[in-house]
Amino acid sequence: MNNDPGQPQVPRTLEEVFRPQNRRTFLKGAAATVAGMAGLVAALKPLLALERGEITLDDLLQRHYRQLTPGDLQRIMAALETKCQQERGVRPTIRDLKPMDGVEFGYALNLTRCIGCRRCAHACLKENNQSRERPDDIEMSYIRVLELNKGAINLETSNVYYDAAQVPQPDKYYMPVQCHQCRQSPCTKVCPVQATWQEQDGIVVVDYNWCIGCRYCMAACPYDARRFNYKKPALQKEQINPNQDYLSNRIRPKGVVEKCTFCLQRTRDGRYPACLEVCPTGARVFGNLLDPESEIHYVLKNKRVYVLKEEVGTLPRFYYFFDT
Amino acid sequence: MYRLDSDFQTTPRRKWGWAGAIRSSLKTGLLGVGLVVAAVTVGRWVGSGQSAPGTAKPGSETNRLPPLPVVAKPIPQQPPTGVAEDRHLDKNPPRETRGLDLVRLGWSYNCMECHRLFPARWHYDRPMNEHQDIRLEHGNNRFCLNCHHPTDRNAFVDYDGSAIAEADVVLLCAKCHGPTYRDWKAGVHGRRNGFWDRQKGTQTQLRCIQCHDPHHPKFQPMPPLPPPTYPPRAAQPPSESRTTAPGVTP
Repeated sequence: MNNDPGQPQVPRTLEEVFRPQNRRTFLKGAAATVAGMAGLVAALKPLLALERGEITLDDLLQRHYRQLTPGDLQRIMAALETKCQQERGVRPTIRDLKPMDGVEFGYALNLTRCIGCRRCAHACLKENNQSRERPDDIEMSYIRVLELNKGAINLETSNVYYDAAQVPQPDKYYMPVQCHQCRQSPCTKVCPVQATWQEQDGIVVVDYNWCIGCRYCMAACPYDARRFNYKKPALQKEQINPNQDYLSNRIRPKGVVEKCTFCLQRTRDGRYPACLEVCPTGARVFGNLLDPESEIHYVLKNKRVYVLKEEVGTLPRFYYFFDT
Repeated sequence: MYRLDSDFQTTPRRKWGWAGAIRSSLKTGLLGVGLVVAAVTVGRWVGSGQSAPGTAKPGSETNRLPPLPVVAKPIPQQPPTGVAEDRHLDKNPPRETRGLDLVRLGWSYNCMECHRLFPARWHYDRPMNEHQDIRLEHGNNRFCLNCHHPTDRNAFVDYDGSAIAEADVVLLCAKCHGPTYRDWKAGVHGRRNGFWDRQKGTQTQLRCIQCHDPHHPKFQPMPPLPPPTYPPRAAQPPSESRTTAPGVTP
């Protein structure tokens, strides 16, 4: 016992010995508290938006698309129409078209015919209300047209940014790539909140109100088919297509992922998708896979079709083919 | 079988219309120019008093036929493609048809108005006065009458010499391009517009000559629409493809 009689005996607990309360530990604790408070504020940010009136309580408490009753959906769509009219000056017609019975959509693209003119990519922009800085800004278009060297299907040497005076160039061929609507879709499997799923007719759709913007699906997609809204979509009044569908081309909020839906607002209405309507060479074939009289059935029966990245096992509903 | 998907509006047009007016004014103009030239020549001849060297050169030129004036033919109204409310999509066919459905569209131009005077010309490679803009590069076809009917110029000719109506031009092409015709009938060659579901609406289909010039059928190259902008701060694209992308700073 080497107690110094000049100093009083202070009982020291283990806590005091191993976690002494000095300046360093105090600053550590203060920093951790500040960080925690900042995280809490960030987590409660939707409440601030609610306070400012940017979103309503209904938006905040809205349930997943597949749990909504028809009445809820009608009310939500009417609210979206009103909001669009207030913000952008155009009142769209938002519908909720359901999958048709006995219909499974399929798409085929004739690589012998495609000349790479990008009419499809620009028509996609006009139809689907993507964000664009300039009228010809196809960054958010769902279609990427690849220019490949003849002789192989080598995507690693392909070029999206080609801008020749005339297409097709003699030693190149062109491959537009968009969502393949896979039967084994990786994007729907990785979604942590099940905001994207496959419908009865094979279309992979996104619930824009349920998506949390984690972009796992973009990383999982082997075809680069998904686009992310980094900011609020920039759209002029005259660029808005008023024919909209809830799951397809209604104007997206900021921070969600969007994708090609084979122009669901058109095809579930019996019409052809926009990219097919404008193709000057007729390279695109669309139809019902289950109908033996359809064009797509004829292609699968009589042409040699090619599936892009077959080895990843996604079983797409999008086929490429060559003919003479 | 092949059928027209929809009837379209016909615009009645007066016979010869304004093309005829242009022709008559051109005639008057040519007559006036001829008179002026004649007056100048006569004046020079009278002034110089020498006949032989002054008139020799114009005399040799008048032996050849002057080229006929070019008459602008208005493009007839095109058949509709797709649904009318899709105005935001550019659904125009790659080529405007001049020959198809001219009579149905109220066009009074009748090929036989000239060709009952001029008999059928078998060889293409003789010099022509009319149809000088036609350049026949269609496989090994060298003869107009491979496709055109020898006595009825408003129609095309079948294997057995019978006539194929002008509106049925698809059947003419099917004479040689059988597999393509089969694909076209199945909707796989060429483009269909409108409704894939026939129960919900009508469908239109482009016909051969709305994309292919029948005298030069290879599909023509076209300028591409603008590409996406290259990310300004990203790595450069591979050198073989770094050709002319705009917005790329090397």
